[in-house]
Amino acid sequence: MEQVFLKYIDDPNQHKIDTYIEHGGYQAIQKVFKEYQPTEVIDTVKASGVRGRGGAGFPAGLKWSFVPQNTGKPIYLACNGDESEPGTCKDRVIMENNPHLIIEGIMICCYAINAHHAFIYIRGEFAHPAARVEAAINEAYAKGYLGKNIFGTGFDLDIIVHTGGGAYICGEETSLLSSIEGSRGNARIRPPFPAVEGLYKCPTVINNVETLSSLPSIFNNGVEWYRSHGTEKSPGTKIFSLSGNVNKPGNYEVDLGTPLSYVINDLGGGIQNGHKLKAIIPGGSSTPLLMPDQIDTPLDYEAVAEAGSMLGSGAIIVIDERSCMVWVLMKLINFYAHESCGRCTPCREGTAWLKQLINRIENGDGQPGDIELILDVCDNIMGRTICPLGDAAVMPVRSFIQHFRDEFEYHIEHKKCKVETDYPFV
Amino acid sequence: MQGRNGLPVCVKNMSDNGKEKEQVTLTIDGKEISVDKGTTVLDAATLMGIHIPTFCWHPKLDSIGACRMCLVDVEKFPKPAVACATEAMPGMIVRTDTDEIVKARRGVLEFMLLNHPLDCPTCDKGGECDLQDNVFHYGIDKSRQAFTRRRVIDDQTTDAFDDKRIGPEIIRNMNRCVTCYKCIRFNKEIAGEYDLGAYERGNHTVIDAAPGEQIDNFYSGNVVEICPVGALTNTDWRYKIRNWKAKQTLSLCSHDADGQNIMLWHDQRQLWRATSRRNDDIDDGWICNIARYGYQYINSPDRLKTPLIKKEGKQVPASWDEAISLISKRFKEIKDSKGSVCLAGLIGGNQSVETAYLFNKFFRNKLHTNNLDYRLEYIDLKGSDETEAYNCLYRAPFTIADLEQADVVFVFGSNFIKDHPAINLRLRKAYRKFGTKVYTANPVETKSADISLDEMIYSPDTETAFIAGLIHAIIDNKYYKNIDETKAAEVKTMLAPATLDEAARLCGIEQERIVNLAKVLSEANNPYILAGDYFVASAKRHRTANGMYDLANLLGIKDSNAIILASQANSMGADRVGVRPRLTENLKKTLIDKWGEELPESPGSNTSQILNNSLDEEIDGLFILGANPAMRYPDGPFVNSALDKLDFLVVADLFETATSAKADVVLPLAGWAEQSGAYVNVEGRYQKFEKAQDADKGIKSGIEIIHSIARAMDLSLNLDNAALMHETKDIVDAFEREARDEAKFFEVKQAQIPEHDNYPYRLLVGNDIHHFGYVTEHCPSLMRFTPEPYLEISPNLAEKLGIDEETLVRIESTTGKLVLKARFSEYFEGDVLFIPNNFSATEVTGLVSREGGGWVKIEKLDDK
Amino acid sequence: MLKTFWDIIKTTVIALPIGLYTTFKHVFKKPVTKKYPKAKSEMMPRYRGLHYLERYDDGTERCVCCGLCAAACPADAIYMEPDENEKGERFAKVYEINMIRCIFCGFCEEACPEEAIFLGHEFELANDNRDGFIYSKDDMLVEHPRKDRPYKTIYRRTRRHSM
Repeated sequence: MEQVFLKYIDDPNQHKIDTYIEHGGYQAIQKVFKEYQPTEVIDTVKASGVRGRGGAGFPAGLKWSFVPQNTGKPIYLACNGDESEPGTCKDRVIMENNPHLIIEGIMICCYAINAHHAFIYIRGEFAHPAARVEAAINEAYAKGYLGKNIFGTGFDLDIIVHTGGGAYICGEETSLLSSIEGSRGNARIRPPFPAVEGLYKCPTVINNVETLSSLPSIFNNGVEWYRSHGTEKSPGTKIFSLSGNVNKPGNYEVDLGTPLSYVINDLGGGIQNGHKLKAIIPGGSSTPLLMPDQIDTPLDYEAVAEAGSMLGSGAIIVIDERSCMVWVLMKLINFYAHESCGRCTPCREGTAWLKQLINRIENGDGQPGDIELILDVCDNIMGRTICPLGDAAVMPVRSFIQHFRDEFEYHIEHKKCKVETDYPFV
Repeated sequence: MQGRNGLPVCVKNMSDNGKEKEQVTLTIDGKEISVDKGTTVLDAATLMGIHIPTFCWHPKLDSIGACRMCLVDVEKFPKPAVACATEAMPGMIVRTDTDEIVKARRGVLEFMLLNHPLDCPTCDKGGECDLQDNVFHYGIDKSRQAFTRRRVIDDQTTDAFDDKRIGPEIIRNMNRCVTCYKCIRFNKEIAGEYDLGAYERGNHTVIDAAPGEQIDNFYSGNVVEICPVGALTNTDWRYKIRNWKAKQTLSLCSHDADGQNIMLWHDQRQLWRATSRRNDDIDDGWICNIARYGYQYINSPDRLKTPLIKKEGKQVPASWDEAISLISKRFKEIKDSKGSVCLAGLIGGNQSVETAYLFNKFFRNKLHTNNLDYRLEYIDLKGSDETEAYNCLYRAPFTIADLEQADVVFVFGSNFIKDHPAINLRLRKAYRKFGTKVYTANPVETKSADISLDEMIYSPDTETAFIAGLIHAIIDNKYYKNIDETKAAEVKTMLAPATLDEAARLCGIEQERIVNLAKVLSEANNPYILAGDYFVASAKRHRTANGMYDLANLLGIKDSNAIILASQANSMGADRVGVRPRLTENLKKTLIDKWGEELPESPGSNTSQILNNSLDEEIDGLFILGANPAMRYPDGPFVNSALDKLDFLVVADLFETATSAKADVVLPLAGWAEQSGAYVNVEGRYQKFEKAQDADKGIKSGIEIIHSIARAMDLSLNLDNAALMHETKDIVDAFEREARDEAKFFEVKQAQIPEHDNYPYRLLVGNDIHHFGYVTEHCPSLMRFTPEPYLEISPNLAEKLGIDEETLVRIESTTGKLVLKARFSEYFEGDVLFIPNNFSATEVTGLVSREGGGWVKIEKLDDK
Repeated sequence: MLKTFWDIIKTTVIALPIGLYTTFKHVFKKPVTKKYPKAKSEMMPRYRGLHYLERYDDGTERCVCCGLCAAACPADAIYMEPDENEKGERFAKVYEINMIRCIFCGFCEEACPEEAIFLGHEFELANDNRDGFIYSKDDMLVEHPRKDRPYKTIYRRTRRHSM
């Protein structure tokens, strides 16, 4: 399958600027400067239908068109490299292997929205990828591709790398902006939306690393080429981070619309040791489960949504029959309770309470009525929070209980796992 | 606030320069309402009388939608929206009473109660707690939480309460916190302080003081008031009384001139606390720590309880009859034998305006003397007081609320946060919300530097040169309005120093900055010039006032926008009823009408002249009501010898002071909370305060004392309390001031700075930020903030002289010497020093001379 | 109406001894009158008499001076002043009940969140001057925690951790 992000994954020098140029890099941006007006760039991106790869799947071109150009305030671009969704490791590989792809994508986006400052927010734990990105930026500056008058066109662009302090919440756009401004990474209420009032109260566009990285290929090869991959409503390619009980976990770039079974069985080598598939988390831990009978679901935004889940960030976690679902849910809810920013009451208190309840069930102290209580708490969190972290915590809880209620009831009644296993991590 | 204290909610939006705002119509719970564009759904509902509960919303803070309590159902929105942050849109249909919303609110309350300890019986907030009220309303009585509550354990020796003192007056119980962030938002947004912060995240968020710091900023008491639960409590209210048992009385801050509105809580003849009584025109609901804790001197056990009479050199207790008859006898003697010109009266700036008026009437109309004054903290030089420019600017019709409309504000000679806390917050609001540009010019660095675009520090005593330089810059660059070139050239000749260059060199500020300030002021649409206490306390202030007058005229600044701000609670009131030797023509006429008699003809002496005349034995009888010049007036030795020379001194005060120690008769005076009356604040606004409690038996108010003396002298004043209040109000209302004459210009000549070769450092003397005058020494809470005097010195100077923090330093001037502990200043950078003059045990005014202020030399005192 | 001579006999000569016999019968019956004050009767368990302030099992006072009893009292009979002890706990420095005002309704006992105040069985409160009716904390605080009695179960025997 034709690849965009992982095309040169095997070349150890791809992160260097000379190799990148050799492989056809920095051609798209020069083409854009020569042949396109900013509004035309936005139209082209809209026409190509590229959707945000951070999880929400919002059309990128449409997001750019919301930015008001006439406020007199500077416009900023923030590139979201705070990849913390459990299961996701796709942005990391782009940052390590092909950082110039991101830089070129940023250049295209900044030209389109008339931004002269861009920030790449990289999570604090990514020391090595951040170092690669910073080195790539320095190379670009040295060649005159960044700074004043890039490529001799009179357009100024500065890119600043900002590393985070270790918070999943900073992947949420308003918290990311708060973090860049130097404050605590607390979510902000919307409206006002970042496109109108974002970083330092100026219009800001926030896009995921992968979204920006797909821009050069669109302008190099054209909209038709891009639309020839993927489906009508979800065009293009995507990296899926496959993990869990498969033989060959890793990052795989495929067209959107590829069936899930292809990714798990063909690319991933199938379930380890021939065990039976139990459940699949299709788009990072915040998404509801898919059951084994849904394994042929095509991996695009619409089909997965129809199947009752979300494509999200494209991190596929495969769970086989050896895993106790209560234990898996406990691991997930511990993560969300730890990562809640603490600003709004339902998420701050509710995720901690869910953590206590689910841990109690897993440890054998579950009381009758706990499952109803958990679902009631979920009702009080869902839709009542400032940012989607609350929803993200609640959706797996509801989904696990919906599909595997018997395991929870067994835990409460018998005080141990229903699944008899010698799986080492339980 | 939403209806607390029974006061109506005020939903004024002050940002629109008074323009008519577009109207928006929306429907809430089936009823339509039209509101201004930009109003939130919450405010619209409140206007309709629909109560939406909130925790993290506050009318004066930016909404953050953190508590999720105010969720309402808006048609066409996919999920409930927060009413506090959702702007009302035309045609919006909102419901606040659906089952889903009630469930949402109960859910939020349940979440808050999960880890909330059952502290209500011991929590001071009980009875006024938002959480208590809401839980009671929504009927949540069974807990589904079966786990041990999360406990934030502090490093206390006892973990009985997990109460941790994070400031001199603030105790925090983190277990009770509902993390609404109001305290941090207030601190950061309104006060601009960063000593309170949130640490950790999620369920383990901890609100704490910055590491190694205490919450002791000047507005820190407000965080306790806005905390919706008992997480932050005040030490002075801790375990004292339940709020439903205390009675509330309207009152005002009795210290500074802003006139902050407070509510006094009292019971059993004891004042328990003061809270804010939101007045959007003055204080916006925020009161400074002095207003909040500065009532405690009324309860002090050190209050004078009986009159004292000096017999054989010692003051002994006596009865009121004895004291009053002695006073009347001696005053009559002096009046009959030497004439009424030998009698004088001085009244403090925090006495009510009725007391001031009665004082005036007694001395002018009955004792026939014009020797009256209320300005007892700074010098009026002989012959130069009462200049036209100074008086005109002092009485400018300034309005605090209108400061928000300013586009450029020039703060001159004022440490704003200390002198005028309410105006300071208003200025910060204008800067933060409406983009006002602020420029400051002071003899030392102050906190205002964090909002000032250019903080200019002029050399001490060169204010006049600075103003002259500014005028030069305006004339040289033709920034003036309303006059022609010949007039401008004429004005230029009236200035000394004669050129901008000279002026800049003298005051130590670069020319470009002065020119830039002139330019900014000239281009502004609505500029303000505010002068404060450094200005007022300077001996040469009349020269600088001339300069300010000229400046305002040249720039075409509105009459109300250039003002020299008064400093004490009733300074403007005393001014308006005429407690000063020279009166305006208009006031003279009013008084003559009211009293039916001509006023005495003698020219009258101001404070400085009274003291001088006392020293020369030309004044024999002096009555000081509620003031302490021996401690507060510059040049202590001079004041002491002047008072010693008096034949007969009567002092009426709340405490025994340095002044009362010299008196022949000392009378115990009632405090402001023990009488009803009014103050006139810096805007000229007449504000009433009510009596909170009776004074102890044997203590009388100023009005009662004056009546007693008048009756004993057979000079009945014929005014009962009601008539007195009416008459006073009439006089205050009838006061007319001459507007600034745009065509008039005065000469602005920098006075010569006296020789001070051996004394290289300029000393400024004033109030510590947490003290005011001489009574706050008796307020335990304020003493916790600043328990003792100190020498404030910049770290640079201290390093140069080898002085460490807390070491003793000897300070010497031509008139006196003192030994104090050194304290490194947060703001000072140069060679200027500061000593607070609020502690009776430390006589500071001995260091300050009457001619040129205080020049001192300092040296480290070696430990013996 | 006395019609005949027999009626007169019935109503006087015969009725009198019958009545006197009824009276005479009671001469030998045991009286129900109790010889108070030599003999005192036991009150019913829920009898509301003089108040007493309880202690925890470990001896600390229960009353935290929260003010609820004073707020609940319909006669405004309770006065209190709180204070902080060495351990930082809240307690009542002054606690007084004016027994003349008190109507012994028991609302204070119902309102108390700490199970600190109870109405006991003491009812001999007569005094010859009004001041003697102001009962202070010393008069009401028990020296040792009293044992449970029927209908006055104590639900918490140790101090709440957060207080």
